[in-house]
Amino acid sequence: MSYLRKLVRSDRIAYLFVAPALCYMLLLVGYPILYNLLLSVQDVTVKNINNGRFSYIGLDNYVRLFTNDVLTTSIVNTLVFTVACIIAQFLIGFLLALFFNRAFRAARFVRGMMMMPWMIPMTVTALMFKFMFSTNVGIVNQALLAAGLIASPIDWLTSPVSAMIAVIAANVWIGIPFNMILLSVGLTTIPAELYESASIDGAGRWQSFRHITLPLLRPTIESVLVLGFIYTFKVFDLVFVMTNCGPVNATQLLSTYSYKLSFSLFKYSEGSAVANVLFVILLAASLVYLKYTYTEEEGM
Amino acid sequence: MRSHSPLRRRKDLTLSAIAVVLLILFLLPLYWTLVTSLKTETEIFRIPPTLWPKTLNTASYAVQLEMGDFNMFRSFGNSLVIALCAMGIAVVLAVPASFAIGRYRFRGKKLIILGFLLTQMLPVSVLLTPMFIIFKNLKLISNWLSVILADATIGIPFSILILKNYFASIPRELEDAAAIDGCNRLGAFFRVFVIICIPGIVVCAIFSFLYAWGDLAYGMTLIQKQALRPITAGIFNFLGQYGTKWSYLTAFAIVTIIPVALIFLFMQKYIISGLTAGAVKG
Repeated sequence: MSYLRKLVRSDRIAYLFVAPALCYMLLLVGYPILYNLLLSVQDVTVKNINNGRFSYIGLDNYVRLFTNDVLTTSIVNTLVFTVACIIAQFLIGFLLALFFNRAFRAARFVRGMMMMPWMIPMTVTALMFKFMFSTNVGIVNQALLAAGLIASPIDWLTSPVSAMIAVIAANVWIGIPFNMILLSVGLTTIPAELYESASIDGAGRWQSFRHITLPLLRPTIESVLVLGFIYTFKVFDLVFVMTNCGPVNATQLLSTYSYKLSFSLFKYSEGSAVANVLFVILLAASLVYLKYTYTEEEGM
Repeated sequence: MRSHSPLRRRKDLTLSAIAVVLLILFLLPLYWTLVTSLKTETEIFRIPPTLWPKTLNTASYAVQLEMGDFNMFRSFGNSLVIALCAMGIAVVLAVPASFAIGRYRFRGKKLIILGFLLTQMLPVSVLLTPMFIIFKNLKLISNWLSVILADATIGIPFSILILKNYFASIPRELEDAAAIDGCNRLGAFFRVFVIICIPGIVVCAIFSFLYAWGDLAYGMTLIQKQALRPITAGIFNFLGQYGTKWSYLTAFAIVTIIPVALIFLFMQKYIISGLTAGAVKG
């Protein structure tokens, strides 16, 4: 009894509180990550998955993948997709954040409602954009035709470049609110007096923006961009549902390629090898992000 | 007062009007999906498109009841059970863990926080293949338990990272006061802290629910029977089966959005605070 009481009062009881969550994550995330490394140097396919007779084939999976074009295409596509999305969603999000930062009555409510796309399941967003970009009934083609910008409907989702543009557009729609809200929070931390004294000194809007907003917002901008990279680089559902990675791998990403290898072609080991490539890139990005944000945090 | 000057008020009105126009433009995809789900199939194909349904058609929703395996209301129920269970696991595990991280000093704490931060950024697609094989070996494929356990891994790190800040922000005096009243730390945990942190716990519950609700990858790989699949996987299969039946597909989409929209209308402040706290401070 007294031991129990001592335990309850000491700091060591913290381990007892953390243990369930920690064990859960170690079992369901830590173990799969390690298991994934093992899988990627084995030869698990649909033929031997049920009898458990796997053999170790070293780095053969990686060698085979890196010498075939699809992996390279997926990496390039993922980068193009990510960079294009980040640029577009950051710029639009930033403009909206600046706009809503001006004190007017409807600002809070409208900005709140604009968060909606961020919370909608990506599968649904993919479906909505698939519909809007469809050749015959799509509102995008209808609008472009009505405006006289195109002469005949574009096959958005079945030609390589336009398919990429369409999935980027859909993902930017999701990313804008995310960028907007984080930049808005960053903007509110800049003291209003700075702008007041700058305008007394005769600074114009652009000068205030250039010399006050941008430098003070820099940490927020950096973390928004790195987080944007992490969230965009791993997108799966959106592209998988909208274009099914086609036409002919034109929108194949690392995440969708890994899925395809494992669950359409049943080459589990190759799928896990691609997943490991994705994992390494994201781990590096996450560490960069954490180094930025957590260097000076105390009491962690 | 400046804010009551006519000039100021006109500016306010102008900005608000611009904001509303922006909002309408931005949410156009949602509006378009909703009206399409209420149109007849022939009206959907009309050129130029009608901006709202000329004949209101609710059959796309009603017909789902007779769709057998693709019945979206059954998928809705499946998703609800899966998401609520994943939410329950996440909250029950995250509350004590974040309490300890927020209130105690112990060795290895930094490492544990780092671990949760990293898992929060980890994509589902990295874990998909190993999880599938692990659950296959455990004979849990097409069993809700597998997808519930997998979905909860998205909510747990998020919840812990948010809640630890809530717990850490409670003043020490409150704990002391509870101690004087005869609570030990364990008693204090339940009586004082959890009650004070209810807003934070609500944020975690909402997000854990929404993560699980929106999941497609786990749902479609770990559950192979259509009748047991969550609604997102239902949409995907439906899309493969009835490719261009847009009235049905958009109805499916609208039903999937309902819980999100409800949470949004009634709990907007929790969502915003969760998003900003979760992403910026980690």
